[in-house]
Amino acid sequence: MYNPGYYLDRQSPVHKLDPRTKIITVIALSISIMQLDHTGLLIIALLLLTCSQAAHIPVVSWLKTLQPILPFFLFLFLIYIFTTPGDPLITIGPINISDQGIYMGFTQVFRFILLILTASILTMSTSSAEITMGLERLLHPVKIIGLSSQDIAMMVSLALRFVPTLIEEMNHIKEAQLSRNCNFNTRGIRGKIRNVTYLSLPLAVNLFRRCDELVNAMEARGYNKGPRTYMRDLAFAPIDFCIISIFVAGTGLCLIL
Amino acid sequence: MICIQNLSFSYPDQEPVLKNIDLNIAEGDYIAVIGPNGSGKTTLIKHLNALLLPSAGEVLVDGLSTSNPKNLPEIRRRVGMIFQNPDNQIVGMSVEEDVAFGPGNLGLPPKEVRKRVDEALEKVGLTNYKSRPPYTLSGGQKQLLAIAGVLAMDSRYIVLDEPTASLDPQSNYKVLNLLKKLNYEGIGIIHVTHNMDDLIIANRLLVMDQGKLITDGPAADILSQVESLKAIGLTPPKVTELMYCLNQRGAAVATNICTVEEAVEEINSLLIKLQNPVDHNRRETEHV
Repeated sequence: MYNPGYYLDRQSPVHKLDPRTKIITVIALSISIMQLDHTGLLIIALLLLTCSQAAHIPVVSWLKTLQPILPFFLFLFLIYIFTTPGDPLITIGPINISDQGIYMGFTQVFRFILLILTASILTMSTSSAEITMGLERLLHPVKIIGLSSQDIAMMVSLALRFVPTLIEEMNHIKEAQLSRNCNFNTRGIRGKIRNVTYLSLPLAVNLFRRCDELVNAMEARGYNKGPRTYMRDLAFAPIDFCIISIFVAGTGLCLIL
Repeated sequence: MICIQNLSFSYPDQEPVLKNIDLNIAEGDYIAVIGPNGSGKTTLIKHLNALLLPSAGEVLVDGLSTSNPKNLPEIRRRVGMIFQNPDNQIVGMSVEEDVAFGPGNLGLPPKEVRKRVDEALEKVGLTNYKSRPPYTLSGGQKQLLAIAGVLAMDSRYIVLDEPTASLDPQSNYKVLNLLKKLNYEGIGIIHVTHNMDDLIIANRLLVMDQGKLITDGPAADILSQVESLKAIGLTPPKVTELMYCLNQRGAAVATNICTVEEAVEEINSLLIKLQNPVDHNRRETEHV
């Protein structure tokens, strides 16, 4: 099974960074991306390219993470082109396409592309276990409002863990329905909606049973409120502090300017 | 020692699922539990690690009562449990992380967790798969992974609820072999199964029916009672049934036989007797 954006097991300086550093950096970069104009965005793009190379991520598989979202980019581009007011460049009936619209369309799409590429570097250079571990530590302060960061991290981790299992189950259900002569190629909205219920209802029912068993298994393996430990412990190295300060300072600068 | 004293269990406003069960399980026991569907096997084993609590009576794990919430972490460390569907008991995103879940819940220091994970994976033979995502494993490997998860907690007893139900014969053999090895090392095994061929390695067999423990004794003796097994809807192993039918037809063979090897031995000696009734004694000594 090929998963765009899935973890690549490499020995790179980026892989070795503390997951918390990477999460904070991604947040900082995302804020900057939303603030900057086209020159700034180009600089960020170069920066990301450098980072992906430092993480030993092949450019092609990195860019492939954009593939599933391409229709959204197109949609976004069209919305900006048609809705941004400005000097009309082309007029087709009541629709005006302006300079400003084209500019906005391109920059917004570029922004989203960069956001996704940023997140991809994180997920491709950090195993999901490390990400949840990092999240657990970063979210530690939520206990002030009565939540447990351990439970939140566990939920995220279980959600990620069950994605492939559910895809597999979905395919089983689809095959079962097909073998009972269910037609998934119907045209028209009504048919499509009916098809979705044929797949999602059994899936949902199975999910509840699965949860029940999972809870039993987790309890049997001693999951409880107490503090959990992991195979490795997180520790900031000097390089982590440097990277966090540089990126946070950079973002601060973007916000002020 | 797990002591079950006069255990009864019922869900609220329903007929009791378990009725007055008394049972002692020693640390080195290999117990197989059989019974028709709905006989209470799964309910019984869920009492062994306090997933369910008795409505009446008591369950003591090495002297710790399951009814006392303070004992829960220690009881769950001592009694590991493997479920039928391996997919629903794997929580980690990689093989080694899943094994680390149990020791992590015990709050062990990371170094110790790492050590136990490596040892457990080594024992079940999954070391080469340690950084693989669990969904890429086969059904049998997933069950081995689940067993590794229990071993990493240093459990004294392993309770298995139909662990081989969905496995191919080869994986089935691997899992049983591992259980045999662990039992030899002193871990108590409680194995619920529908597969009669799984019972052969057990040294003790429990038969349950309608929430009651109806028989408890050596596996071979109980399996040879073909009629009484059939009466509650169970089928004895094919070989045992064959020997039983031969015996019924008048052949002088023992019926407490569960393996093909034993059956061959028994039938062969009968054939020798038939061929040469006078000097079969001499022949038999030559044979040995």
